[in-house]
Amino acid sequence: MADHEASKINHDNHLLLDQPLLRLPYELLRKNFRSAHYSFEKDSTFVKNLLKDTATGSLNGKTSPEDVVKNLDVMLARMRGMKRKLSTYADEETRLYKQVDARVAHLRELSDVHTVEDVKYEAWSRKRLDRLLVDYLLRHGYNSSAVALADERDMRDLVDINTFVAMSKIRKSLENRSVQEALAWCSENKKALRNMNSNLEFMLRCQQFIEMLRAGTPANCTAAIAHAKRFIVPFNDTYREQVESVAGLLAYRPGTTLEPYQSLYSQDRWTKLADIFVEAHNKLLGLPSFPLLHIALSSGLSALKTPACHSSQTTSSSPSHHTSLTTSVCPICSTELNDLARHVPYAHHSKSHVEHDLLLLPNGRVYGKARLEEYADKAGLPKGQVKDLVTGESFSTDDLKKVFIT
Amino acid sequence: MGGTDMEDLQQELAEVFKMPRLSSAVSNVDRIIELLSAAREQVAGALDPHTASLTMAKLQNPAKVAFDKVNDNLKDASQAHKKIGKALNEHFPNKPLPSDHDAMANHPALVNRAIAMHLLREGQFSVASTFIEEAQGSVPNASTSQTILDLEDPPDLGTAEPMDEDADDAEASPLFSSTSSENREITAFHSQELQVKFAEMYRVLQDLKARNLLPAIEWARENSAELEARGSNLEFELGHLQYVWLFKGSAVNGLPDDENNGQAGAIRYAQKHFPRHQGRHLHEIQRLVNALAYASNLQASPYRALFETDDAFAEVSSSFTREFCSLLGLSAESPLYIAATAGALALPQLVKYTTATRSKNTEWTTVNELAFETPLPKRMVYHSIFVCPVSKEQTTEDNPPMIIPCGHVLAKETLQKLCKGSRFKCPYCPNEGQMKDARQIIL
Repeated sequence: MADHEASKINHDNHLLLDQPLLRLPYELLRKNFRSAHYSFEKDSTFVKNLLKDTATGSLNGKTSPEDVVKNLDVMLARMRGMKRKLSTYADEETRLYKQVDARVAHLRELSDVHTVEDVKYEAWSRKRLDRLLVDYLLRHGYNSSAVALADERDMRDLVDINTFVAMSKIRKSLENRSVQEALAWCSENKKALRNMNSNLEFMLRCQQFIEMLRAGTPANCTAAIAHAKRFIVPFNDTYREQVESVAGLLAYRPGTTLEPYQSLYSQDRWTKLADIFVEAHNKLLGLPSFPLLHIALSSGLSALKTPACHSSQTTSSSPSHHTSLTTSVCPICSTELNDLARHVPYAHHSKSHVEHDLLLLPNGRVYGKARLEEYADKAGLPKGQVKDLVTGESFSTDDLKKVFIT
Repeated sequence: MGGTDMEDLQQELAEVFKMPRLSSAVSNVDRIIELLSAAREQVAGALDPHTASLTMAKLQNPAKVAFDKVNDNLKDASQAHKKIGKALNEHFPNKPLPSDHDAMANHPALVNRAIAMHLLREGQFSVASTFIEEAQGSVPNASTSQTILDLEDPPDLGTAEPMDEDADDAEASPLFSSTSSENREITAFHSQELQVKFAEMYRVLQDLKARNLLPAIEWARENSAELEARGSNLEFELGHLQYVWLFKGSAVNGLPDDENNGQAGAIRYAQKHFPRHQGRHLHEIQRLVNALAYASNLQASPYRALFETDDAFAEVSSSFTREFCSLLGLSAESPLYIAATAGALALPQLVKYTTATRSKNTEWTTVNELAFETPLPKRMVYHSIFVCPVSKEQTTEDNPPMIIPCGHVLAKETLQKLCKGSRFKCPYCPNEGQMKDARQIIL
């Protein structure tokens, strides 16, 4: 039967929503490693050179024993610093390994489940929803809610609290008109940002320039020009036009109504910066640009939606829920999703799905024979009578008419 | 490869987990620190040029070796990461997700409301209240006209059907209301009331689990008018089970062995409560009472099935949940859960479609009907679907299904096209009919 097919879990394609679950810790492992490697290279080059120079200097008498001790102290301090940093990176690596382990185990659980009717599937799918919810909450900066839900469900290893909390801190700082945090993030990820042609740093540097001009004192203007020379002019080749408009700002005060200067002075630019940052952040880590829950809902609402869901009539029959006489409210008709689903297309069907042996009541409503009989029996109706399950009207079975659905 | 990809991936990763990690580099850094410290002690102890230059010369090689070791450790760690990447590419290759268009982005308030209601119905009251507080405090995307979760004084346009006849029953007023117009979108619901309601639901379910039917019975009695209007037999089913439960007596039900328990208690209960149900359930009541005659040997009697309780408790629990939610205008299972699950099931079709049509830049979300099929398991089909066998279109409110005298059903528009004058010929049988004889039906 076709239904069997629809209930089967297609393992090749069932984990589309779950790709970032393993991709992200992997990306973070690489990023963490790159930072560790970079800091090791820097410190070790310094120590190795100093070591060599000190040995040479000591040998040819240019470096006194006292200076040798001093240099050794410098090297020791540097190495202890390196140890501290490497330990931090190693701890982060351990944490990420633990996440990868927990996550692959979670995804692996699904391998044993072959149909959505399996109770194990429901448990798994509920966990997935919880993950999607935490992802949604984190992306919107509802961090306390995200942490509360993750802890309630005991699934910290399956969600990316650290990553998104760090992200929302930077985003908030931009919304609060501070570029420092975002600039620090840019320098941490300089190479990767360059590879993906991100304009984030340029935009941040421009904003600094704009703020100096906004303050407007002569000292500020001088500083602004120095800032532009150092941080904006280097972008001249890449963003020539924008560099020119920004430079033109020197001639205009914040109150100007002339474009593009009015927009450049606009406070809305901060929101835009925050958006650019979030976009760059997600792209850099291979995260989808909008919440996974949105993807799941767009697809799910449409798959479930029927023309009846926003119609004024109460439908009569329910093709699959006649284990009970009264039916559950359809999820799309339910208050939670009804308004949200108004904006999505309904599912496409090429075949009718109706109850067996349909009978037409004189009032125009159609029900399956089995359900009508069961209801009549439960309602204690005399033989030869049936009752409309929705309206409660009683009719004689003689007045029923067979309905043929081809 | 079927379901084995994740198994393979897990196995391969288990191997990676055994590989050296950054922590091994840390212990080799310690080795360098030891070397440097020892050298410092020697040079500082003697403080003469000869010792200093000799110590420094002797330090060069071991230090270089130790640094190389750390470097090797880092390489090993990186090797492990690369293996993870390789294993992921092989067993969990990246497939693109639809990313052009986010249909949900314009309705943050509605998504938030769905989440808040989901948390409440799942009994996650503390998470829900944290969320409501957080969501009220912030407005993402800074659109000023929108309230993310406005819990104060919602407009009184309930979607829950106002079936309550008791005007003095304040609880029966709509719990949450929503209005949605094209331009304005203020959504609100009484989260407090909803929480109280779901807390009540969980209390009753808890009691049912402990085999205490009384709170459920009380709820059903309070709401009997609404339940009956829905055609629900819940009140009688609960009474029925209570009768059976008492009938089984103290040894089974663990209730005090007094005149309100056992067969006598069951009869007493029946006398007191069953008359209310006589109109609708006379037949079943008779059977239940007749069973008394077989009390000594029920197992062998024709009434045995009536007295099974194990499944009956599970059944009344689920019908209780269904009815309880239905009276609130809500689905029995969390719609958010169903929708997310259906979403995951339908997503491959959507991805296939968007990938195939990307070049044409079709926005699949702007049309009325999806352009592709998204088959769902049967239990996720909640409404009858009628596809006109001629036009192959689903019927809608504007184009409803029509039955013609021979009993075949066609979409209204199809019928209008088939009409020659006022008459048409059925495409499925030799019968003919007149337009005036065709009737709209409600499936």
